[in-house]
Amino acid sequence: MNRRINSDSLYVVIVLAPIVLLIALFIYYPALDTFGQSLTNRNLRIRRPPKPVGAENYLKLVNDDEFWEVTGRSFQVVIMTLPLEMVVAFSIAMLLNQRFPGRGLVRTLAILPWMLPGVVNGFLWGWLLNGEYGALNGLLYQFGLISEYQVWLRAPEHQIFWVTVVQTWTRYAFPTIILLAGLQSIPDDLFDAAKVDGANAFGRVRFITFPLLLPSFGIALVVEFIAAFQIFDVVWTLTAGSSAGGSINPFTKTLMLYNYELVFRDLRVGLGAALSYLILLMSLAVGMIFVLRVYNQGVQEA
Amino acid sequence: MKLGLRGAERLRLVVIYSLCAIVLIWALAPIYWVFVSSISTRKELYARPYKIWFPSQPTFESYQTIFTQGAKFRAGGFSPTADLMGAGLRNSIVISVGAAGIVTLLATGAGYAFARMRFPGRNLIFLLIMFMLPLPIWVSLIALFFLMSQLELIDTLLGLILIFVTLLLPLAVWMMTTFVRDIPAEIQDAARVDGANRWRLVYSIILPLARPGMVAVFLVAMLSTWNNFLIPLIFTRTNDSQPLTIVLTLFIGQYEVAWEDMSAAAVVTMLPPFIMALFFQRYLVRGLTMGAVK
Repeated sequence: MNRRINSDSLYVVIVLAPIVLLIALFIYYPALDTFGQSLTNRNLRIRRPPKPVGAENYLKLVNDDEFWEVTGRSFQVVIMTLPLEMVVAFSIAMLLNQRFPGRGLVRTLAILPWMLPGVVNGFLWGWLLNGEYGALNGLLYQFGLISEYQVWLRAPEHQIFWVTVVQTWTRYAFPTIILLAGLQSIPDDLFDAAKVDGANAFGRVRFITFPLLLPSFGIALVVEFIAAFQIFDVVWTLTAGSSAGGSINPFTKTLMLYNYELVFRDLRVGLGAALSYLILLMSLAVGMIFVLRVYNQGVQEA
Repeated sequence: MKLGLRGAERLRLVVIYSLCAIVLIWALAPIYWVFVSSISTRKELYARPYKIWFPSQPTFESYQTIFTQGAKFRAGGFSPTADLMGAGLRNSIVISVGAAGIVTLLATGAGYAFARMRFPGRNLIFLLIMFMLPLPIWVSLIALFFLMSQLELIDTLLGLILIFVTLLLPLAVWMMTTFVRDIPAEIQDAARVDGANRWRLVYSIILPLARPGMVAVFLVAMLSTWNNFLIPLIFTRTNDSQPLTIVLTLFIGQYEVAWEDMSAAAVVTMLPPFIMALFFQRYLVRGLTMGAVK
């Protein structure tokens, strides 16, 4: 008996020790260290030992126009992306919820973009939208919809628009899968009963499908909020500009790109560390609001 | 009446397949176009207005170019693209297979411990691992960069593998814990009565039964690592460790003109995820949506 207990503890120590060590050393210790640095004026461009400055970095950010501009842009990306994504995902989920031969194959192909690297997706669309030789120009020109080639990514507001389209293209598969799983869990009896009561297709979607799907929408919105709020890879190759050390395109600079720039380009470590904690707070807060809102609504309506 | 029903069913299918066509064009057109670009001659690809939606003489020249004659496009004092592509492919394979293999092993051992054993600190350790899931990793990455510099692990494959293993742990541990929990306990109890210790038990009873779960963890871990961009962007410097996702952005930065070559590089970068998504989608979807649906 004693030997078994010893062999059990040995097992636990051996399998968990590397995991605990890795997480402590690579996640929790650096997270605390980053917080500590956010309270200093560490700047690798300036050769001086960093001094503690209290909350100065946080105040500097909150009083900085660029911070608010970038934050606003991140929320703009979220606000533009989420509805677009949900409409696309809900439509595709409704379609894939029908019974027809070949449904499995269509499903497999329809969620492919999600599995590809984000930087590749940004590149794909950048090339598609290219002003000189891009396929979108070729296609629209061929069908007579434009009379000359357009530079789709020139105007700043167009750049943001295309960022949200590419983010949608990259991510819509996840909400589609979640909503499809939700749809498949709605019992057919409900629809049959509604049909007998004379509800038309629109009424059935409005009064049965939507309320019952609210929890699925809630999950999808939270996950997609975090994905859109922390957008990085797609912007990098679509509109961020040269990656060989040049400056980052200010018109599509979102919070994550701003943070990367502060720490790894400008080397203002203290300020960047403070920004990373502000981003953490914003993600958590908005995530919580989303969860509470959507779930409360779901509870009330169901 | 019967004919009418059949007609209605046919109409339903026509509508459904038309909608499917729209969905598939939306999902696949950009992928198709980059593939066509990669096998086109420059003359056809740069035609204005562009009218050819499949090259008249498909060629793999661009692929050959990016792997062999990189120097052709060399603008400054950077590595020739041939080195970049070859090294990038090697690095991508090493880090994604390495990280996936290690995290699968760690998560299987830990998954069994969390699912079937009682020990002090069990809940605390489990929570500490899972708390990483909602935590944006960015707060850790800044200080981690300086830690990795001190450990001299910047720009090394080992450093990348260790970081990816750590970041993949919560999902992998969770997947394996739920998977082992679903294996009937009676099978293990029988072996325990026979006097098998934990190692024997895990090795000869759990491992064979948990194989589908391990395959799912391995595939999800491999795909996430292969596709990742931010981690190598921060922790790599040269083609000693830069994976393909980084190499692709170097192409874009340095060789602005050669779209057919860049398309070939993009196809190479997305080919493994593409193939995995086609053939192992069931595993991947289950892993990647786990927690959201459970």
